[in-house]
Amino acid sequence: MFLPESMSRIVIVGANSYIDETTEVLYDLESIHLIDQTVDADEGFTLGTPRPYSPKAAERLLKVRAMEKDLGINKHTKTQPISESEIRSQITSDGVENVESEVRVVLDKRNDLNQRITELNAKKKSLELLSRLPIDLDMYSGYKSIVSIVGSVEKDPTQALAGLGEVFYSPDKKNGNLVAVFVKNEDKSKAQSILSENGFSEISVPEGTGPVNEALMSVNNQLDTYNKELEVIQKETEVLFERYKHFLRASDEELTMDAEKGTLPIRIATTKYTFVIDAWVPTPKVESVKSTIESKVIGTYVEIEENRGRREAEADNVEDRFKTVPTKMTHGRITKHFEYPTKMMSVPKYQEVDPTTLIAIFLPIFFGLMVGDVGYAIPFIILGAYGLKFAKNPDWRAIATVLFFGGIWAAIFGFFFFGEALGMHFVGEPEGVEYTWQSLLGLENLDKAFSWLADGHGVHKIGAAYVGFLLKLSVYIGLVHLTIGYLLAIYNKSIQYGFKHGFMEKGGAFLTFAGLVIVCYAVATNLVTSSPLPNDLYLGFIGVGAVIMIIGLIINAKEEGVMKVVIELPDTVGNILSYTRLVAIGMSKAGMALAFNYIAIGMIAGGIGGIPGIIVGFVAFTFFQLMIWTLAIMSAGLHALRLQLVEFMIRFYEGDGIEFTPLKIKRNKLLSNKNVKEA
Amino acid sequence: MAEGIGLGLMAVGAGLAVGLAGLGTGMAQKDIGAAAVGAITEDPKMMGKALMFMVLPETVVIFGLVIAILALFVLPGQL
Repeated sequence: MFLPESMSRIVIVGANSYIDETTEVLYDLESIHLIDQTVDADEGFTLGTPRPYSPKAAERLLKVRAMEKDLGINKHTKTQPISESEIRSQITSDGVENVESEVRVVLDKRNDLNQRITELNAKKKSLELLSRLPIDLDMYSGYKSIVSIVGSVEKDPTQALAGLGEVFYSPDKKNGNLVAVFVKNEDKSKAQSILSENGFSEISVPEGTGPVNEALMSVNNQLDTYNKELEVIQKETEVLFERYKHFLRASDEELTMDAEKGTLPIRIATTKYTFVIDAWVPTPKVESVKSTIESKVIGTYVEIEENRGRREAEADNVEDRFKTVPTKMTHGRITKHFEYPTKMMSVPKYQEVDPTTLIAIFLPIFFGLMVGDVGYAIPFIILGAYGLKFAKNPDWRAIATVLFFGGIWAAIFGFFFFGEALGMHFVGEPEGVEYTWQSLLGLENLDKAFSWLADGHGVHKIGAAYVGFLLKLSVYIGLVHLTIGYLLAIYNKSIQYGFKHGFMEKGGAFLTFAGLVIVCYAVATNLVTSSPLPNDLYLGFIGVGAVIMIIGLIINAKEEGVMKVVIELPDTVGNILSYTRLVAIGMSKAGMALAFNYIAIGMIAGGIGGIPGIIVGFVAFTFFQLMIWTLAIMSAGLHALRLQLVEFMIRFYEGDGIEFTPLKIKRNKLLSNKNVKEA
Repeated sequence: MAEGIGLGLMAVGAGLAVGLAGLGTGMAQKDIGAAAVGAITEDPKMMGKALMFMVLPETVVIFGLVIAILALFVLPGQL
């Protein structure tokens, strides 16, 4: 749970003639993390070549993907399951090629039509412009000594062009001014330069004869015909989509696997007759993996090379490619969702504690403490439960998990610590700008229902002592959290290099922290609270704290240098105080709610503006509460996460591991034989 | 009378603590935010990390907020 699963390294040796069978078995086992062969690693070995079926599979895959794209089939398209044997027989009997020839005909026709329609639309656009000039289409060209220049202009060029030739001008503010100029061949460049001064851009005149309007009508007719044809083709593609979507999705999956399996040999070492595969396997499974491979494939032999421990020294005498061990995080159904924040930093190293479980414990608590309001907690719980029941995407499931458990904690803290719902306390008389549920609902005896709770409990207006208590509480939570972090740092280094080394490297920081906490406790008690410690006790605390701190500082200075120590001291204080955000954010939100409630409820209760005023008041109330609720997700969620990633994990976490990615068939549900039988 | 002035000064102090700390946080977040938007445009997967960096300087304003809370709630009790 806390350490990644232990790993063993195996070597699989076998005959080249059985490589396909071996590949199948390796993929079925789903616990083989392949170690890539490096070319010059062993003399006499070369990297393998892809299997003979691989290029064909890749080619078919390309065709299938192209068809899927053209028909608009993607991973969200709903398809029925097809059994693996069925799809395989369809593929081997040239199913892909047959479908392609049928689909291509329709798709080519569709592309052709689309292209023609685009061309016609362009022609139509220029004809529509030209229809504003009283010139037939065949008049624009076919002269020996004069040329025509047609286009749009920003300013009227008629004056400037006077005397050069014939000018037709049609001003239109909305669609642009149009000009057609007929000049002698030798005057063309002169006319063009005058036109360009007036913001000219040329329009190409479509070929044709007769009046423009007639040409326009024939273009429109053609467009209608093509559009009708396109509709027919669209229907045909829809039919093709329905007919082949199952086949295409399934063969895409099958061929992807084929292509991947076919290129497996280029990751392993081969000789003329044999192959050698290096791989990592989880230690608990290594014996069963060995016996499965040896019994299922004739002529293979599996050697267990080593069971790798967590000591760094164990990696000293092995080849470079065996130095890094893949990390397999082992988590239950719920903690698994908290791998996301861990991975956001980095995948844990094989030789260190995986903090996911601790994040799963602390993250919802911190979130709940920062929200701390029953009214906001209930929607969180409902939303989280809904997400957990219906969401499929792992990211959404992770968020839903945090919302659900965070919501439960928020309800607990909201009830017992803050006594608030929607930013209003449960009991008490309205005072100043504050409203309470007791006075709003007119329940005079509500305070008796809470009389069993300790005095000063948050259901009443929060007093000075209670705020002090909450701030202290948040610091204490931080101390626990940080202590776990410091101890984990020592533990990590201990399993990597032994306890002595671990303590010398990370123990200094912990002792400094512990000493500092004791000193700060004494100082803070005397400065801030009204009941200072007795003098002897005060000096005792300071003395003991200082001694521990100095021992820590000396160890640290020896290990990391004096400079680091100087920087680290204020940093430690900052980290501890950073946890006060647990309460501070909750209170800032409560403050906001207080102000908003005062405005909204004041509008409703005061009855300003009659019935419409009351309605506006209710709308404002809903809007304000929703705003605070959304802010609660953002601030509480991000800050809860930040406390894990920054304050906590920086103490001990190294990361930079590689994830355990076993050879495995990535199926959607639509393919496997087993699923078909179930369905 | 003196107590009233003391309370008033505490309120002013609380306001200054939050306000000035907020300014500091804002100055830090301005740069981080610009860089974060750039990073997210390059690779939307950076969103999570970028958000984390965004809230880093908020510690400053939270220290300010804690001082303000102390000034408003805890200190008046000792006046």
